[in-house]
Amino acid sequence: MRSRGRLAVLAFVAASAVTRLAAAYDFTVGLRTIGQGYQTRGFAANGANELFSRRRLTQYMDLVVFDIAPSRWRGDDGDRNLLYFDASLRFDTDFGGYMISRPTGPNDIYELQQSQFDILYAFLGGRNVGGRVDFQLGRQIHFDLVDFFAFDGAGVLVHLVRNLGVEVYGGTEVRGELPLSSPIYEIDGTSPGSRDPATRPDQGSMIRPLVGAAVVGGSETGPLTARLAYRRIWSATADWQPGDPDSGVNDEKLSFTANFAWRNRVYAGGGTRFNLLLGEFDDEQLLVKLHTFTRQWVTLEHVYLAPTFDGDSIWNVFSAGAYRDLRAVYEVGLGAEAKIYARGFLRFFTASGRAAGYSMGATWRRGRGFMRADGYWEDGYGGRKVGVDASARLGIRRAFEIEGRLTGYEWRADATSSVALAPNDEGVSFGAQAGGRWQLGRGVKLHLLAEDNFGTFYKSQFRGLAVVEVDASL
Amino acid sequence: MKRLATAIAIAATATAGGTLAAATDTRAPSPLIYPAETIPIAFDHAQHAKLGATCEGCHVSALTSTSVGDNLIPREAACRSCHKIDRDRPDKAVAHGQGAARCDACHVDAAGNKWMPGLVGMPTEPPRVVLARPNLKFNHKLHVTRGIGCALCHASADMSSAPVTRADLPLMASCLGCHDGKQATARCSACHITEADGRLKTKLVSVATMAVGGNGPLVPSGSLRGIDDHGPTFKRDHAPAGRDEKYCLTCHKRNDCIDCHGGVVRPPDIHPADYVSIHAVDGRRNVPDCSSCHRLQTFCVGCHQRLGVAADPEGGLPGRRPNNPFGTGTGLKTFHPPGWVRDAGGAVISTPRPNSHSLAAQRNIRTCVSCHREESCLACHSADPTRGLTVSPHGPNFRDTARCKFLSARNKRACLKCHQVGTPELTCD
Repeated sequence: MRSRGRLAVLAFVAASAVTRLAAAYDFTVGLRTIGQGYQTRGFAANGANELFSRRRLTQYMDLVVFDIAPSRWRGDDGDRNLLYFDASLRFDTDFGGYMISRPTGPNDIYELQQSQFDILYAFLGGRNVGGRVDFQLGRQIHFDLVDFFAFDGAGVLVHLVRNLGVEVYGGTEVRGELPLSSPIYEIDGTSPGSRDPATRPDQGSMIRPLVGAAVVGGSETGPLTARLAYRRIWSATADWQPGDPDSGVNDEKLSFTANFAWRNRVYAGGGTRFNLLLGEFDDEQLLVKLHTFTRQWVTLEHVYLAPTFDGDSIWNVFSAGAYRDLRAVYEVGLGAEAKIYARGFLRFFTASGRAAGYSMGATWRRGRGFMRADGYWEDGYGGRKVGVDASARLGIRRAFEIEGRLTGYEWRADATSSVALAPNDEGVSFGAQAGGRWQLGRGVKLHLLAEDNFGTFYKSQFRGLAVVEVDASL
Repeated sequence: MKRLATAIAIAATATAGGTLAAATDTRAPSPLIYPAETIPIAFDHAQHAKLGATCEGCHVSALTSTSVGDNLIPREAACRSCHKIDRDRPDKAVAHGQGAARCDACHVDAAGNKWMPGLVGMPTEPPRVVLARPNLKFNHKLHVTRGIGCALCHASADMSSAPVTRADLPLMASCLGCHDGKQATARCSACHITEADGRLKTKLVSVATMAVGGNGPLVPSGSLRGIDDHGPTFKRDHAPAGRDEKYCLTCHKRNDCIDCHGGVVRPPDIHPADYVSIHAVDGRRNVPDCSSCHRLQTFCVGCHQRLGVAADPEGGLPGRRPNNPFGTGTGLKTFHPPGWVRDAGGAVISTPRPNSHSLAAQRNIRTCVSCHREESCLACHSADPTRGLTVSPHGPNFRDTARCKFLSARNKRACLKCHQVGTPELTCD
């Protein structure tokens, strides 16, 4: 932890240095401070509920440096050979009361640490270099319909011909246990809190090389886009013993996604992913949205999802079940500003069991203002919940907005818990939020929100949120 | 349940079967792209076209304009070729068939009333044309040299008898008729103003945009992809649109995703107030998908353990009495109901049944992961008798399955957590 702290300080100093060096360039600095004070429910020794007072402070620091390349490189239309540096750092500390203290020493559990510094991403980027190449060098995030991951390394997209490109990337996966890494991207399955020798507690701190490639088709505004991608992550064996493999694959996937749009009347998108760790398709999605009669839309969706984990995890053996969803949404526009909608879903668990739900609602918006009201019902595996939700925002002058929200729901979990927890299996809760956003000056915003809840378990549960945002372009 | 399914199916089928062609585009130009403007001129394009006037005959400067900020409205001199205007005679009469020369033949005030100098309540000078620079990049000259006629983009102006307003300016859909990636570039930045890093500039609010309702950021209307309309429900419904990385990054920075998906602040659009009370119901059936924002082992476990909900991993080790700094498993309270692992007689349950851990794990093992570590499972399921109770988690004929073969070929370390080196179970063949 101490070395992590030192590295964090070094990173901040380095980022500051870049800021100074970039004085000749355009750059923007974004600072966002989020303070939260809230109460959360815990279980007292006698089985009753009690409220713990918690506080949380989160600081984001974003830096983007533009125009690193000479302006003469940028071409007649100004959008060739764009070089830039983009970084986002986050410091998050969580403190206040809990039922127990944080374990220390040999019992230390990584995710229970109360202060965490993350380099969310930091890369040198190039766009439209030579009219053909986009690249990123550094910590970067990638996501598409069926995948989401982060790595330290390099990624290059080469536009071979019109509407067809090839992307290759390589580096090391971002994991929580490595210096200057972030656990928020870590694949579930092998938690660093494990201390059984069989789970190889040091395996998580091994470097994980990552390589991937993709063929990308389509354009930003074209009717058809598609992507065929492959990715593999592996690591050497920690605490190697005779008979152990030298290395193992942690993640290996082949995915295909495609989107099709026709004149704002038909949209179809979907993707599928073949998990080469398991030899199975573990993610399939298909969505079709039709603009039928004037201002009416129908969306139909099918989703199949099987939980999969890090290749080192035994849960890939245990996770025999998956679920399949059928979803439908019907929307009707009432003029240019209002819309009503109804949606429903059916979920089928392959093991056994079903769940279903539907909701109806309406929205209205004009300029910065909006109102929204929803009612919902869900039942089946997991339990029942029925609720209503109404929210509104109103712009008052150019620099001020007020917002409010009322919620209420009743629920009943279908799991029969232990006697001590049984009273917690059902209840009602009502909540009210009120707040506002002020534009305090050019690039400076303040957002305040207060929330109070009451219901079966408490007469008052408070939450306060304050966000200060500073965006400066220099 | 069946009724609901039937109702959804009927509604969907009936509506989807409607006439697709009935969908019409009734959208107006974006107030953020075309801010408010004042053109106090009564002008009948259709009549002039009928009389033989051409676009370029009056809008001469359009042929050479390279900037969207250029004022392309003809000056009075252009009108004088047909309208024999005499500024000293504002009510000058002309012979029938000749172009009118009176001031009020063309000039109107802000309310559309004809303007003449000296009229009571009228300004002494004719109301001025006020144009705001559109938030676009456009080069008329370039389009003219490529032979693109005016009417291709300004068809409504050509046919209109009413005064031309900003409502007659071209919509993006007409641009995309040519900018399809084949005839002309389909890059958004070809027309839209960009930030220095190449992203589209979305903060375009000004006094002129606010005058026509343009108060917020520039957002997609849904006309391009159909699913990208950034309306009040977009945060909840954005998953299909939001996972097309390249498209989103046209306007967004990557940290826009992290804002919500980083899990620091509860987004009210996704979770209602007091969500802690209800989250277990959603978590068990995974609606909404928890893993889209939360990696379970680095988000859920910390809170669950410190609030006394989760099992202590050390307590799950074989041969150890639950060492429980969190209070669980000590009789103080137990999260799971009786019969979760063992039956009333104390025997380990061997077949999945309601309210047993095996059925819950088969339905959604992610729920288990939000509290437990692998050690919890190893305590019973390890094939090593010194470590566990050798209860096999594998289904029948597991060794013949593709899952066994693929897992074994790619990472035997997972197998070695339960099976010892050299044992026959380590091979799938």
